[in-house]
Amino acid sequence: MTSNVLLRCRGLSAAVEDKQILHDIDLQVPQGEVHVLMGPNGAGKSTLGHVLMGNPAYEVIGGDIEFDGADITELTPDKRSQAGLFLSFQAPVEIPGVPLRSFLRAMMEGRGEKMKNKEFRKKTQALAETLDMDPAYLDRELGVGFSGGEKKKVEMLQLLLLQPKLAILDETDSGLDVDALSVVSRGMELYREQCDGTLLIITHNTRILEHLNVDRVHVMVSGHMVAEGTAELIDEIDAQGFERYEASISPSEGAHSGRPDTK
Amino acid sequence: MAETKTTVTASGKKRTQVDDVDRSMYDFRYDDADAEKLDAGLTPDIVREISERKDEPAWMLEHRLKSLEIFNSIDMSDWGPSIDGLDMDNIVTYVKPNTDQKSDWESVPDNIKDTFDRLGIPQAERSYLAGVGAQYDSELVYHSMQESAAKMGIVYSGIEEALHGEYADLIKEKFMTLIPPTDHKFAALHGAVWSGGSFVYVPKGVKLDYPLQSYFRLNAKGAGQFEHTLIIVEDDADLHFIEGCSAPKYNVANLHAGAVELFVGKRAHLRYSTIENWSKNMYNLNTKRCRCDEEGEIEWISGSFGSHVGYLYPMSILAGRKARASFTGITFAGRGQNLDTGCKVVLAAKDTSASIETKGISKDGGIQTFRSSVVATPAAEGSRCSVSCQSLMLDDRSRSDTIPAMDIRCKNVDIGHEATIGRIGDDKVFYLMSRGISEEEARTMIVNGFAEPISKELPLEYAVEMNNLIKLEMEGAIG
Amino acid sequence: METTHVTIERASAMPAATWHFLNMNDTQIEMPEGLSIAPAVQVSEPWAARGAADEFENALADAQVEWEKSHPAPTAEELAEREAYVAAEVDATYGGTAQSAYQIAADAIEESRSLAVAFEHGTGDEAAAYLRYAAGDRIVVAVKEGQSVDAQVVVSAVPGAVSAAAVDVIADANSAVNLSLVVDAPTAPGQSGASAGITGTTVRVFADEGARVEIDRTQAVDGDFTDIDDMGLFTAENAQVAVRQTVLGAAASFTGLAGDLRGDSSRIDVDTRYLGHSDQKRDFNYSLRHHGAKTKCNLQANGVLAGTSSKTLRGTIDLIRGCKGAEGSENETVLLVDEGVHNKTVPVILCNEDDVAGNHGATIGHIREEQLFYLASRGLSQQAAESMFASAIVEQAAIDATTDAARESVVRYGERLNPGFADLFEE
Repeated sequence: MTSNVLLRCRGLSAAVEDKQILHDIDLQVPQGEVHVLMGPNGAGKSTLGHVLMGNPAYEVIGGDIEFDGADITELTPDKRSQAGLFLSFQAPVEIPGVPLRSFLRAMMEGRGEKMKNKEFRKKTQALAETLDMDPAYLDRELGVGFSGGEKKKVEMLQLLLLQPKLAILDETDSGLDVDALSVVSRGMELYREQCDGTLLIITHNTRILEHLNVDRVHVMVSGHMVAEGTAELIDEIDAQGFERYEASISPSEGAHSGRPDTK
Repeated sequence: MAETKTTVTASGKKRTQVDDVDRSMYDFRYDDADAEKLDAGLTPDIVREISERKDEPAWMLEHRLKSLEIFNSIDMSDWGPSIDGLDMDNIVTYVKPNTDQKSDWESVPDNIKDTFDRLGIPQAERSYLAGVGAQYDSELVYHSMQESAAKMGIVYSGIEEALHGEYADLIKEKFMTLIPPTDHKFAALHGAVWSGGSFVYVPKGVKLDYPLQSYFRLNAKGAGQFEHTLIIVEDDADLHFIEGCSAPKYNVANLHAGAVELFVGKRAHLRYSTIENWSKNMYNLNTKRCRCDEEGEIEWISGSFGSHVGYLYPMSILAGRKARASFTGITFAGRGQNLDTGCKVVLAAKDTSASIETKGISKDGGIQTFRSSVVATPAAEGSRCSVSCQSLMLDDRSRSDTIPAMDIRCKNVDIGHEATIGRIGDDKVFYLMSRGISEEEARTMIVNGFAEPISKELPLEYAVEMNNLIKLEMEGAIG
Repeated sequence: METTHVTIERASAMPAATWHFLNMNDTQIEMPEGLSIAPAVQVSEPWAARGAADEFENALADAQVEWEKSHPAPTAEELAEREAYVAAEVDATYGGTAQSAYQIAADAIEESRSLAVAFEHGTGDEAAAYLRYAAGDRIVVAVKEGQSVDAQVVVSAVPGAVSAAAVDVIADANSAVNLSLVVDAPTAPGQSGASAGITGTTVRVFADEGARVEIDRTQAVDGDFTDIDDMGLFTAENAQVAVRQTVLGAAASFTGLAGDLRGDSSRIDVDTRYLGHSDQKRDFNYSLRHHGAKTKCNLQANGVLAGTSSKTLRGTIDLIRGCKGAEGSENETVLLVDEGVHNKTVPVILCNEDDVAGNHGATIGHIREEQLFYLASRGLSQQAAESMFASAIVEQAAIDATTDAARESVVRYGERLNPGFADLFEE
């Protein structure tokens, strides 16, 4: 663990509408590693992802977040994104009236990459093909009428286009959808290949991790970080579930109902 | 209770006929022979005479005469229900009942007392009100308030009386500033001939737990009622004010052109509830407005059941940061009624919010229009407003129109609007009937459910009255 | 020939007016003096679909005969009964229901029992007459039963002139028509805007039983032009008309669409997209009258207002007695991206039939919070997100263009707004 720490949060606590849902979270993700954040439904995993990304729906009431050597606790999400942080959404929003490629171009321009339109077109089309995505989707309104798998492809396309330093993939539910699962696996693989990216994968389903070399596993229950370990922890949880961790948290500290609303 | 005739038609279906049954309890009346009357029609002399009788300050006479000029110079609006049935030259605009204002119920003349007794006013006072005012035709006849409220420094009196008292200057400062006589023709008329009404003053930080109530009764035939209500709720204070109106039915037009001006201070709260049940010869052209300062809140609860023609759009001007308004209203238009109701909101400061929820019901050829305007000025940054409007058509002879306007001049606002119109679903009626409920009962139940968001906001007594009004309107709706 | 100064006072008026202080009931269209009448119109349609000048009037007259068969005039008995009811009402209710001027006018239209009287132009008769005069001969597209035709009309803006087209579409039973209207300014950049002018189209559509008519109107005029888009639609039983309107350019644009959903189970869909920037003015008026049973209409309007642009949208759905089972809906989304924009909306539902479903919704304001967070998480500031929404309107119009002429027109407009835009659409 001597490698360069890319993301570090210390004593991070957050609340939504005066209800505390993250309690004193400590987390470190070193550059180039693959980390997994696990926990039962309602553990606050997705919330942590959103808080790291700076969703204004949550209020940070304690602790700080350091990314790539800088304190980003007070930064707005667009600044965090430009600093190299990425969050894939469990349920990406729909944006009627905005064709996917208009969005992608605005995204690139947002970080000062004045790519020529022709070049941009070629690049997005090539990426779409890599992800087995029909380039016609580029002309469709963002997310409108897309299936779960298609939405995931759009998220992965953005991941590969942006090549962030750290990608937080909120895949809490995608284990349920076989299509989505394979899209995400392919996306993660390419991301690791292309830019030696750092990953924090949020899941409670372990199938998604089958082809990955996981460095560390973190376990959350009821808004608390309750365990950390090596990849072996995954098999253990697969076999035994979260019960023994849940027992360690008193019910009064529950963090249920704090899941981010990304609809 | 009203008389109902039940007949069985050839098809064997029971048919209940109701002749204005809902209003018969309001319809008893006393001969107005004793009352002094002024000549019909409106002249500067009449206006002078009104002012003279009231021994008013000079500025008020000036205000009246100016208003009369405005009244004569502006046209009636061309978009609303026809007021052709209202012949201004034949309206006795001022009727002075044969009594002075009393604060002792026993000394109110018997016929007037009996009227209010029948309407349940004194009982209401005993049971749940902090104060009561009663206006009979043009004048307040009764005004009283619980001692506890008076001790808190709350003033609740006739506005004419108050014009001669400690708050005379305050009244002069506020009077018809929210509703200037230039606003529309009947605001001008009101400015010229207003008479009676209440003045309420709630000092800073004073919170009254029980409502104050004013009851308006228009008894004289072919008359007008033009009461002026002025309520000032100072910073951090809290008040609930209830207004009830009724009149017996005559075969000539009556006119109600009252004005209600409400001033809500910083962090203050005012709830203004109205159940309007004027008789169906009434032209109700009432104007109500409220101004809210920083974090002040106005809540309007409004039920419109009576009147032949109604123009009623309580307006909320949110002038201070984080001021709030809510409007909850129901309008039920039955046979021969054309009720044009709704509300106006002006979002004129940062972070203000307004929510409007209305229900409209039309039946038996009645016309019900929801009309609103939401204006967000360039100063309304961060403000939000939602409008939700539902109309229920009970048959295909009636009409329900929805005309909501939004004028938005500010970028960072959220303005939402939704409206639906339709009838009672056959499936719902069938479901209830399959549980042994008659069709009429089922439909009444559904309409009551439709009205529930409004009735639940009313004090219990009024909610019961409203449910009764709906029940009576619904009788005979089948067949 | 030069025009004199004309002001059309009550153009695009909504049927049921509201408070005058809002200044929303109607609009004024100023026609400057000294314009020449110079229609620059290209038509491409199969010769077989050329109709006679009075084809529309004839079709409506035939429909009148048919309609009367299924809707006989009330018998003397029924009239007497109705009169008795009204008389009783007058007695019982103090002079009868005090109808407003609009309610009286609406009843008069129904009582006339005339399809011609009920037929409306969206921008009003006066504006339609002006355009018809300026356009000269009507372009009549008449499609025979069961046939299918694509037609295209391109109106080019002419500086200092009125360039307009008047189009009638008569779609016989079970025919299909695709009409593309492109209003374009093919002048070189820099040259345009030097001199004001007017462009416009006035379109009447008669969709007979089971006919399918699709109209796509794209307007990408720039400069100081005023554009007027006038339509009047008639649908017979089971007919369907779908209209898409894309409003990108012109200093002032007036869009008016009226429809008489006369035949049972007929349907009209309107999809409007617009962009307002700099100090452009946008005016929309929709009036859809449901006469037939089980008729449907759906109005969708989506727009972005930037700069100091202003917009008024009047949308009226009228559910008229007898339209049992009809459904009308309208929905508007307006995104306001700059201080100084001015948006007015009045979504009206008029109804005197109980067995209907009517609904409308409007969302006015800024980008929704969850969208804003999503966009921010990809690096877009609020400002960047807003400008993306504005440019997306143009991009979407290019993507969705149904003809090359429409696409070229939009791309040319996009390129003027944002150099480099055209590269996105190079083949």
